Order: sequence, then C-alpha cells, then structure tokens
Amino acid sequence: MLVLARKINQSIIIQDNIEIMILDIQGEQVKIGIKAPKEIKIYRKEIYEEIQRENIRAAQSKLPEDIKKLI
Amino acid sequence: MRKIKTKPFGEIEVDESQEITFPEGLFGFEQYKKFYLLENPDSPFLWLQSSQDPSLAFILISPMQFKADYELKISDEDYKSIDIKDKEKELLDFVIVTVPSDPEKMTANLQGPIIINIKKKLGKQAISLKEDYTVRCPILDEMKRTMSKKDKAEEK
Repeated sequence: MLVLARKINQSIIIQDNIEIMILDIQGEQVKIGIKAPKEIKIYRKEIYEEIQRENIRAAQSKLPEDIKKLI
Repeated sequence: MRKIKTKPFGEIEVDESQEITFPEGLFGFEQYKKFYLLENPDSPFLWLQSSQDPSLAFILISPMQFKADYELKISDEDYKSIDIKDKEKELLDFVIVTVPSDPEKMTANLQGPIIINIKKKLGKQAISLKEDYTVRCPILDEMKRTMSKKDKAEEK
C-alpha cells in the first residue's frame, strides 16, 4: 500500500481525474472530499461488506412450507 | 426450453430466453452471472436461481408487498449499467429476503436492492442511497405497520 502524509487542504490525484482532499481533521475523524467522474463508484467500505455478509446469510435461507400463514 | 436444477424446486424446465445476466454478479457472489427469476407459487416471493450452481438461489420479494412507503433511490449509474431508458416499461425491482431459523424474524435487505431490466434481461445489485435503509428490515413488523396505516386510512 502506498502511504502518503497529507495536511488539511492538501490532496492527491489519481489517474488525472480523481482528486482526494483532506478537508478537516478532528480528533479521530478525518473529513475527506472526493472529486471524481460520475461513473467512478464510491462507497463506504462497511456498506459494501455489510451487503456482502447479508447476501451470504440470504443464500442459506429456505422458505418454510407454511409460509402462507405468515404473509 | 432447457432443464436446470434448482434449489427450491429440483429439476425444472425453463425458457432460455428468460435467463438474466448480472454482469457484475451480486456482492460476495461476483462469479455467478446467470440467473433465472422463478415464481414461488401462492406467495409474494420469487427465487433468483443461479443457472451455474443449483445450490445458489436467493429469495426475493417486491418491497411494495410489505412496505407501502418504500422508495427505490439509487444512482443514475446503477440504472445506466443495466441500460434502463424507460423505468415503467423495463424496470423490475426487488429486495433479497433472509429467512432465519425462526421465519417470523425474516428480514429484507433494503440497502442492496436488486434491479432488473426485464426487456434486456440485465440485472444488478444496486446500493440504496437512502440513509435509513438497512440490510435487515423486519418484513412482518413492517407489514403490520403498513396494514395498520391502511386500516386507519380506510376508517377515515
């Protein structure tokens, strides 16, 4: 992993068209601004992982015979 | 027609032209790209059955079946990736259901809805932009809430 040290308002550029800027640092929290073309998908990693985990649980699901009584 | 083995119904015949391609797969299941949408008789549920692996199938439901105020809010890029031009004519949307050992506690994943372009047979798992939608929305509780709202509206 490439590690770079940055200060507030400094940024890094990836592939000419993605800019990641450090906007603010407060204690343990860092505020990051990202400028990127629309087709670049940006998500918080934990959302990704949560959906992945839930898909794995969902794939083990079975519908009970008496499902009609429930729904 | 073609015969495939399915998780819920064993071997069945399917119409090959109905096979749906998920170019990116589903999160955590990226290698599975071909699915059939199968109805579960006498219930609001459907199955998203992998045609590559008989043991892989997801239970789907239309969110409107249990949540009257459901809103599909996803990025334009998600629509574009399955080539949606006319939502009314092309788009089907579902959520994946998880049924734990106590089926009354079944939940729906509102955070990662399934969108399908039914004309072009393309599908995708999108990510909801609604901040209050979670991966485990309790279906029966939500249904009761929807019903009681309906009852109240009818009383008026």
